[in-house]
Amino acid sequence: MHTVLIIDDSDINLTLIKALVLKLGECQPVLFGNPLKALDWCRDNVPDLVIVDYMMPDMDGLKFISAFRALHGRDEIPVLMVTANDQRDVRYEALLGGANDFLTKPIDRVEFGARVRNMLSLRSGQKFLADRAKHLASLVEERTRDIREREKELIFRMSRAAEFRDPETGAHIQRMAYYSQAIAKGLDLDEAVQKLILEAAPMHDVGKIGIPDYILLKPGKLTPEEFEVMKGHARLGYELLKESGSEILRAGAQIAISHHEKYDGSGYPRGLKGNDIPLFGRIVAVADVFDALTSERPYKKAWPLEEARHFLEIGRGKHFDPLCVEALLAEWELVLEVRQRFADEEVPYI
Amino acid sequence: MAGAFVLDRAVILERLGGDEEIYTMMVDMFLQDVEHNCASLAAALAGGEAPSLQREAHTIKGLLATFSDEAGAAEAYVVEQKAKNGEVHGLDEGVAVLQRRLREVASVLQAAR
Repeated sequence: MHTVLIIDDSDINLTLIKALVLKLGECQPVLFGNPLKALDWCRDNVPDLVIVDYMMPDMDGLKFISAFRALHGRDEIPVLMVTANDQRDVRYEALLGGANDFLTKPIDRVEFGARVRNMLSLRSGQKFLADRAKHLASLVEERTRDIREREKELIFRMSRAAEFRDPETGAHIQRMAYYSQAIAKGLDLDEAVQKLILEAAPMHDVGKIGIPDYILLKPGKLTPEEFEVMKGHARLGYELLKESGSEILRAGAQIAISHHEKYDGSGYPRGLKGNDIPLFGRIVAVADVFDALTSERPYKKAWPLEEARHFLEIGRGKHFDPLCVEALLAEWELVLEVRQRFADEEVPYI
Repeated sequence: MAGAFVLDRAVILERLGGDEEIYTMMVDMFLQDVEHNCASLAAALAGGEAPSLQREAHTIKGLLATFSDEAGAAEAYVVEQKAKNGEVHGLDEGVAVLQRRLREVASVLQAAR
């Protein structure tokens, strides 16, 4: 059903045009004798066609078209202007001012029908294209979501590959990722940034893939030389992920190379200090250590939460960015929830 | 001075696509509005407002053309153009001619119902 807006100060013309519109079928006429009231109606309603008289009190047809076109989203709606045969100058002006076509008075039904149908057909084409564009946009959005989901799954599985070669568990990467997100939330970072760190944090230790088993899986304490090799995992992870086309992988690269830096400059691999350490690295450093402390390992028992909190607190400004520690503590309820949600035996991917 | 109005029902109907229903509706509305239209013309003239008189004459021109009264529409056009040019004074006769024409057309339409 097409909505046809008809504006004419003459009742007889309104009635005639309405009758002719109804005869076309599939049309719902909306009548106004006053162009200002019609304009008000147009603010909340979108007609499929406007038929407007030229000569009217208060506002002539040209001014109406101009005001109508200025309304948001009304610039392509077809407009037919009704003019007398002798008003050629008005017709030229209306064409320049946004009318699509004309009807001359006295109105001829055949001419009226043809012109109105043409205009409605133009409108249908516009709607079809708009619907198609919307449909395509939703398809693109759906496909992008699928790709992003697959990207996340691959990242998770890649991170798991590194974890499999490590005494740490799959649940560790889940927890530390969610702790990282909680810290980002406590720092008032954008939700999109919180989501990015959640998705990128699991890759923090992916460089361990490149560390020889005799070092990575060594039950005892590493020698200084072995520890130097072990420290190489930060750069290896960065090399693996850097310059990716994926924003998540690039964030992962930044996290991999910076999550062992310490706020006082005593970390590795670059010995960066304070805010020279990328924010994501400072966040993940807190999340990773906190989870390592509060989790059981073959070589150690899980620390009580209060002791782990204390460790973070005394590490403020030394090992950790004080603001990141504060942010974790500010989101303590969330931290406890994550801890409960991802117990060590569960490994669903994020 | 235009000649007497002769109703050419066939031509009007042809323009309305042969639709008797619309034709009857138009005639009814013309007859209902004719005195109102005459009064509006007189008021515009009395007020001496050229744009208002131009608009009323324009409306009458359209009405008469709807009933294929080309001669009457031409009279209305003359008044409309003079009003457009601001020549309101001296249009008494032109307005009186239009009023008489409207009533004449109404009378013919009434007789043909």
